[in-house]
Amino acid sequence: MLQAISQAIVNWPLSQFIAESSWAFPTLESIHVIAIVTVIGTIAVMDLRLIGVASRACAVTEMSNDTLKWTWGAFVVALITGSLIFISKAVDYTVNPFFLWKMVMIVVAGINMAVFHLFTWRSVHRWDKDCDVPLGGKIAGGLSLFFWIVVVFLGRAIGFTLDKFSQS
Amino acid sequence: MSLGDLIFHLGQWLRTTPLTEISLDIQKTWLSALIDQHFWVIPIIQTIHILAIAAVFGSVVMTNLRILQLAGNSRTMTETVRRYLPWIWWGLLVLLLTGIGMTVGEPVRELTNPVFWIKMILIIVASMISLGFQTSVRRNVARWELTHGGRVLIRVGSSAVIALWCLIMLAGRWIAYAPT
Repeated sequence: MLQAISQAIVNWPLSQFIAESSWAFPTLESIHVIAIVTVIGTIAVMDLRLIGVASRACAVTEMSNDTLKWTWGAFVVALITGSLIFISKAVDYTVNPFFLWKMVMIVVAGINMAVFHLFTWRSVHRWDKDCDVPLGGKIAGGLSLFFWIVVVFLGRAIGFTLDKFSQS
Repeated sequence: MSLGDLIFHLGQWLRTTPLTEISLDIQKTWLSALIDQHFWVIPIIQTIHILAIAAVFGSVVMTNLRILQLAGNSRTMTETVRRYLPWIWWGLLVLLLTGIGMTVGEPVRELTNPVFWIKMILIIVASMISLGFQTSVRRNVARWELTHGGRVLIRVGSSAVIALWCLIMLAGRWIAYAPT
């Protein structure tokens, strides 16, 4: 089933164009790297504030306002370029364990962020400035850093193992 | 002459320089063999390299957003510089070390690669700008605090620095695709 869908995807004209063009794939990859570097760079600024390593004098809500819009903007770019990269070699990616784990890790990182915003964030007015972030916030910050580091490793691993798992 | 032609001719010229011999000599060292023979060493070094550029680029973006008054407006320039500049310098050190690791592992792929040298020149330019900026903030802190993001020169300069770092990352990815 997954095999049939991914086979249909690589036959799309757009997928074929990306796969066959000499510049499209590397260009998409470059934009993907710039986007994910921006996602992680700005998310780390927020995570380090939550953990209490950096920017302790700055209010948490303000740090969030300063970083979150850039993180999301860059994430959308990473998502679009990532999807275009995916469709050009969908058959190879869907059988690659590192690709599948990368998708799982992105979802897990999203759940971590959602849990933080739905629960811990509710009491933010009490620990916004000049006091310790509650343990829940520190854990969310630490986990976020960890998940994104793993995402980068898995992303790099895909490029090195694509031929290994490919059946074509 | 197109950019493609320029890169092609630069690559041809690089192969006539002693860099070819030097790369082959590096390839004969035990360290190069060690990196080359262990499958996971290069992807792990690349991962650290990407994480370090994330730290550097994140700091560059946050600093320039402060200059442009698009983020971090409650903090002074001195506070901003103190928060982010150390991450830029330490990040650059990690980038240098992991970059050397990749070069020792695959010397021919890097040292005779025209895109590699274009990237090196761009990094030197970006580092000099960072150094100049740091010195300027130290010397004329009052002027930087008063500087408005609306000033055309500041706007152009800040955006150019962010674009320069994007270009460096672009070059980094294209090293893998340059004809060697």
